[in-house]
Amino acid sequence: MIRAEDLRKTFGTGAAPVVAVDGVSFTAPDGMVTGLLGPNGAGKTTSLRMVYGLMKPDSGSIEIDGQNIVGNPLAAQRRLGVLPDMSGLYPRLTAREHIQYFGNLQGLSPAVLAARMQYLIDILDLKSVADRRVGGFSHGERTKVALARALVHDPQNIILDEPTNGLDVMSTRAVRDVIRHLKAEGRCVMFSSHVMQEVSALCDRIIVIARGRVVAEGTADELIAHTGKNTLEDAFVSLSGVVATEAAV
Amino acid sequence: MNLKPVLVVARKELTDSSRDRRALYGVVLGVLIGPLLIGVMLSKIAGQEKAANEISIPVVGREYAPVLVNWLQQQPGVEIVAGPADPEASVRDRKTDFVLVVKKEFGEKFRDSRPAPVQLYSDSTQQTIRAKVRRLRSLLNRFSSETGGMRLIARGVSPSIASALKVDDVEVSNAQQRAATVFNIIPMFLLLAAFSTGMQIATDSTAGERERGSLEPLLLNPVPRWQLVAGKWLAAAGAAFVGMALTLVFTATVLTKLPLEDLGVRYHVGAAEILLLIAAVAPVALVAPALQIYLACFAKSFKEAQSYMGFLVLLVTIPGVLTSFYPLTDRPWLHPIPIVGQFAMSMDILGGKPPAMWGFIVAGLGSIALTGVFLGLATRMLTAEKIIFGR
Repeated sequence: MIRAEDLRKTFGTGAAPVVAVDGVSFTAPDGMVTGLLGPNGAGKTTSLRMVYGLMKPDSGSIEIDGQNIVGNPLAAQRRLGVLPDMSGLYPRLTAREHIQYFGNLQGLSPAVLAARMQYLIDILDLKSVADRRVGGFSHGERTKVALARALVHDPQNIILDEPTNGLDVMSTRAVRDVIRHLKAEGRCVMFSSHVMQEVSALCDRIIVIARGRVVAEGTADELIAHTGKNTLEDAFVSLSGVVATEAAV
Repeated sequence: MNLKPVLVVARKELTDSSRDRRALYGVVLGVLIGPLLIGVMLSKIAGQEKAANEISIPVVGREYAPVLVNWLQQQPGVEIVAGPADPEASVRDRKTDFVLVVKKEFGEKFRDSRPAPVQLYSDSTQQTIRAKVRRLRSLLNRFSSETGGMRLIARGVSPSIASALKVDDVEVSNAQQRAATVFNIIPMFLLLAAFSTGMQIATDSTAGERERGSLEPLLLNPVPRWQLVAGKWLAAAGAAFVGMALTLVFTATVLTKLPLEDLGVRYHVGAAEILLLIAAVAPVALVAPALQIYLACFAKSFKEAQSYMGFLVLLVTIPGVLTSFYPLTDRPWLHPIPIVGQFAMSMDILGGKPPAMWGFIVAGLGSIALTGVFLGLATRMLTAEKIIFGR
């Protein structure tokens, strides 16, 4: 379970600091997929970076499975599997070597690592390319390798930052299958997206972020009902717009 | 403390970079170029020296000076050939290295015991023939003084009266000096090897990691940042050390194939010297990659980092420049200064005066301290959000 309380993050100092995240709070429970929905630049990635500990919030607290992780990111990282916004691979290593490298850094024993490797290659359908260098991989294959590497230590909490960005239909399906699978195993899955269909198809709960603030929270139906619109997309535009008008005033 | 991640990172970086074919060629070239250059230069000098011992002298107007020509012919390794029609043009166009021209009035003046004119045409900008010209000039001087001496004896005067000085020529021949300067660049190539071999790993594992966007996922592993930095450094330092050792072994191999005794070279490079040299220069294999990693952290791309590394290599030339106006040999207090110290120690070892054991230890400690500082700074860089996410 991931809990964030009143996160704040400002970039730059002096005359014009940019408030990227301005009091964001949310909870992502186990056994559910929680979606972080928002337009580009709304503060999704910054919020997630604070949750997975590579950015320090100016204020606020973050708990992962009940443990406060601000200032102690290493403890959190064992319990977190993250597919960040930037998920570069090493072109000269094979898919298998990527998984192995991260498994070793997570401190897995050889036996556990071998089992995890087999499992991840199976569920992500990487078998045919596992021993090839990733330099020649398609975008879909690269995303799968990055995902396998992020899940190698069997984490309870999974954070995916726009995982299906730029993927073709087949790869998108594979990633969605994995997300459903993780949910069925009772894990806490958080993912961010600006693609409406994706969010409505996968998420149990949706957190709408705009201009660094949480503007709405609930299931897709609740959001639609709350805004009095017909579709999630209309609801989303209306929710993002509310903040825009507020800010303008 | 669990230090296994350090080894995991080091092993990954070594595997990764060993598959970079182009970088590998660069490393091999960097390791081979020094020894090859040294070998070519030394054998060239040896060749010139040998050539000077056997000279053929083109003479114009030999019929005017049979005495001189006969005398020259009797000297060992001298051959007299007919000179070209236009000596000046021939030398200028480099068709002939040098020409000796005997003037028409030679015979008459020689008989009258007056200075008999000869002309020696040569091009002093042509380095390669200097030894030959020098030999010829010394032959002419000897002929001149021997003949002069005999003339004095014929007049009942001791030739020693004509010599106000008796100059004992303690010859430190030019060839030997040049061979010595060639030896002086051995330490430079050793230092260069440390910089050039470790560079690839140092830049690819930092700036390259940022450029590819693989740094963020890497930092998500529950491993302290300093261990990640240490692993990258360990891989680069290992490569740098191997590069240095290979350069040294190749250089020593080249030297054993050359007739150094002919050059009168007083340096000796045997197994003991090799081990001492490795011990002396090894600290650079620690410092250089640490400095490279720290600097590469500032770069957003591999290319940008490489341009920084180019400047860094200039550090290697500092001792060489320094030694041209301030002798570095036999000055132990220089030894703890990284790079300068290693250069100075290498010179002392090659000169047959290796530093004492404590000298090696002090020099090593100086470099280890600096390595720690650079790695600490690099760790701080990898903790800064601007570095992790800034692109």
